[in-house]
Amino acid sequence: MKLSNKTLLAFSWISLLLIVTATAFFTYQMKTYSRMETDLDEYMPKDHPAFIYSDEAEELFNIKDGILIAVENPKGIYNTSTLQKIKDISIGLQDMEEFDDADIVSLYTADNITGSEEGLDVRAFYKKSPKDEAALEELQNSVRSNDMVYKRLVSENENIALVVASTNDDVFSMEFYHKILEFAKSYEGPEKIHIAGVPIVEGTMAYLGPADMKRMVPIVLLVIIAVLFFVMRSVKNTILTLLVVGLSTVWAFGLMAFMRIPVYAVSTMMPVMLVAIGVADGIHLYSHLNLHLKANPKISKFDAVKDMVSSMWKPVVMTSVTTAVGFVSLLTSDVYPIKYFGMFTAFGVMAAMFFSLVLIPAGIIIFGASMPKMKEEKAGGEEKTKFSHRFANSVIKHKYAVVGATAVILIISAFGINNIWINSSFLDKFERDSDIVQTDTFINQNFGGTNTINVVLESEEADAFKTPNYLRLIDELQTGVEDLDIVGNSFSLSDYLKRMNKVMNADDPEFDRIPDSKNLVAQYLLLYEMSGDPENLWKVVDYNYNKANVNFQIKSDNSKEINKVMSEIEKYREGFENKGITLNYAGSGYKALVFTDLILIGQIKSLLMSILIVIILIAMMFKSITAGLIGSVPIIITAVISFGLMGLLDIPLSTTTALISSIAVGIGIDYAIHFIERFKIYAQETKDLELTVVKTMHHSGRAISFNAVVVIAGFLVLLSSVFPPNRSLGALVSLNMFTSFIGTVTIMFLMLCRSGLFFKNKKGGLK
Amino acid sequence: MKIINIILISALAVIGSFTALTAEEMTGKTIMEKVYYNPSGDDTQGELTMSLINSRGDTRVRKLMQYTKDDGKTEKKIMFFLSPADVRETSFMNWSYTDGRDDDQWIYLPALKRVKRISSDSKGDYFMGSDFTYDDLGDRHPDDDEHKLLRTEKIGEYECFVVESVPKDKDYMYSKTITWVMKDNYLGLKREFYDDRDRLLKVLNIKKFENISGFWTILETEMHSVQKDHRTQMVFDEVKINTGISESKFTERSMTMGR
Repeated sequence: MKLSNKTLLAFSWISLLLIVTATAFFTYQMKTYSRMETDLDEYMPKDHPAFIYSDEAEELFNIKDGILIAVENPKGIYNTSTLQKIKDISIGLQDMEEFDDADIVSLYTADNITGSEEGLDVRAFYKKSPKDEAALEELQNSVRSNDMVYKRLVSENENIALVVASTNDDVFSMEFYHKILEFAKSYEGPEKIHIAGVPIVEGTMAYLGPADMKRMVPIVLLVIIAVLFFVMRSVKNTILTLLVVGLSTVWAFGLMAFMRIPVYAVSTMMPVMLVAIGVADGIHLYSHLNLHLKANPKISKFDAVKDMVSSMWKPVVMTSVTTAVGFVSLLTSDVYPIKYFGMFTAFGVMAAMFFSLVLIPAGIIIFGASMPKMKEEKAGGEEKTKFSHRFANSVIKHKYAVVGATAVILIISAFGINNIWINSSFLDKFERDSDIVQTDTFINQNFGGTNTINVVLESEEADAFKTPNYLRLIDELQTGVEDLDIVGNSFSLSDYLKRMNKVMNADDPEFDRIPDSKNLVAQYLLLYEMSGDPENLWKVVDYNYNKANVNFQIKSDNSKEINKVMSEIEKYREGFENKGITLNYAGSGYKALVFTDLILIGQIKSLLMSILIVIILIAMMFKSITAGLIGSVPIIITAVISFGLMGLLDIPLSTTTALISSIAVGIGIDYAIHFIERFKIYAQETKDLELTVVKTMHHSGRAISFNAVVVIAGFLVLLSSVFPPNRSLGALVSLNMFTSFIGTVTIMFLMLCRSGLFFKNKKGGLK
Repeated sequence: MKIINIILISALAVIGSFTALTAEEMTGKTIMEKVYYNPSGDDTQGELTMSLINSRGDTRVRKLMQYTKDDGKTEKKIMFFLSPADVRETSFMNWSYTDGRDDDQWIYLPALKRVKRISSDSKGDYFMGSDFTYDDLGDRHPDDDEHKLLRTEKIGEYECFVVESVPKDKDYMYSKTITWVMKDNYLGLKREFYDDRDRLLKVLNIKKFENISGFWTILETEMHSVQKDHRTQMVFDEVKINTGISESKFTERSMTMGR
């Protein structure tokens, strides 16, 4: 490349101008078209059979998630003012635009169906809050004798009443979340108001996660800037390196906005990835520049830049391309937000590469290079040379210890991987002593459960679920599953029929069972339609009576617990299938479970694929399969340790933690490539293994350690976050950086020495 | 004058003593009064086919034999289910009173072989899973609402008054109704019901009416719940008016004997 200094200068200015223009364009796009997607349903792959089925069932039976507002009065709810409050809350919710009247269920809205010798009585429990003792007592007694209400809407100890408001994800917004919280709060005192339920948990998470991030990100950046400055000792270099990271993030989000793709929760991981990956190029470039300037103090900035670019463009391009490919492999995922995440992070990585190779050199040419502080640095530099020398030698000396330690760690990790599990729980993301978890526990202690699982039964026969035998099967299923501690109660068509049977037989408990004839079932149902609210029936059975919905209330949203309930339900599958009835699941809890499985499978698929691609790419770059295999070692170690530790520490996989494995590939591969590239250059230059080892460690090892220190320091800050998922994120990113770094300079380094790669006369082997 | 009146027996009579007012003199109130005081027969019988259609197009069809008798104070009605087979011979009896007392209701379930009284406190309840509430089926007294004649317009070939009625009781289940009343027979042809948030809730359309034994009688009608997209169609066949149905038809004993 014979370029005059003048051309270089002009070229630098033009590049700078172009970058500024493009950045302005992307910033505009971001400002104008970026929007946050908070609807969790948007994450689900719509064409997956489990989701199609569940969505259809949800629509058919009007299955929604419930917001639970609990009114607690330690002196009991049966007094005029508490009952008035229950009424006010119910009416207040019914008046909200987001709810239909039928969405609100409480002691005030419920029908009390009772029976006597001569007839059937359908009444509200109360219309005006009862004023005198006798009326209050009568109300108390009627609640106690009604299973459809007692322990469902009024707690067993009669101190708490529940108002349930059903809502769909599509009406649930951040504003609505705050509106509901405020509404509930306004009824506080003297009664205590608690608010829980899946929408509230999701809402709190959607609110708390980003809010916490907003607080933490500036601190993270500040720490990264400080450490970056500390290792670079130059304001200019620090700023330019940060610009690489910042601009690549802006471009990535800008392009997303330009393509009108909304920002999903996972997309917020993009800056995390780009920070971790983007600083690497800058550090390596400057590290090379400084070493070169130190060796040739008289050189002009133009020549220094030429040297920097000509000797570093290859590893920078190689690392970026491999990293980008790692992210592109996420396109195999079934989950759209993750596909987009992979695609735009890959774009961001390529943008970072472009900035590193254009913006940094242009910046140096325009603004000049910071000269390494010679005096101070010399002493320090020498020490560092010595340090890397000593380090390299000691690794070689204790090679068996290194190999042994690696093997032990890997074996332990492999053991840990066996224990790894996925958790789709939202609640487990919060601190145990947080309000939201405590409210949830409180409501679960007093009522059926804050979460639901829906079992959908289907028969080909019309009117199948008017058949007493089938209804008894459903009843057995409910009784069996309710035996689990975690299952609070359940609800189905059987409950209506048992209730009607009892009521029509003068409330004789003897008749609290499924009626014996199909005609009687049909007639009770007709009666219910005439006297009760038929809308309720269509929540448990369809028009043709051949699809039924059995609703189980569960006291946890933890995947392990939900799976336990499902395996209990599975025991009844055969009994149903013998009668030609199919059994399926529906509802948001079930979808979350399937969804996390999908993410995990996708994640493992893409991880394996990206490792394979990376091996092939490195093998091609260095024209050696051995190099490819060696290069993949740090990634594999990082991934194994990362998953292994999660298994050992009982940290479940979730959407975010699973994604962090991508970072293992992205970063691990960078370290490996830089290191191998340097090793190759020095090997060819010196043709001496010992010299190559020391020089590589000094040049590349140093830059890698800088890189690791900067990012680890930054992400360790997240450990002080109040939001547990952000803490795991910080811990896992730091851990991955650390293992990639150690893996590269120890075990991979040893393998590289051992392989005799890049030495023509294969005199390899260590002394 | 209660249930099914609008549907089954709302009738028109041009009564001599009533000097026909010209359109300009008509107010919303006088129109609705004319609709309310439209004379109907003393008794009616007919076969009712009720089709309930949900938003997915699933349809449930019930056939009933229905008898009504009205002595001016009490409207008595008895219905016997003809199909589907599993509810055949189930019967339902309703007595409603002009003095404002709650309706009395009975049900007979043949599989249980027992007549039971049903008492219910909610007039807003839907009638047998249909889109009609018990209230929709009855005639609402014109004094319960404030009426306003909005305009006159043509629906198909029929010239109609369009009257808006706003209930005086603010807690009533509808915030308002708008009724299209045919000018030449004072029969409601169409009615829109608005919910407590003033959104369109339901639309009632009369699809077929005939003059039977001198009374204008509605034979086919559809109520469409707009928000749920649920429909109820009612078709009346073999309608007979003033055949002198015996009082003993409307007893618990008669309920157990089938039609």
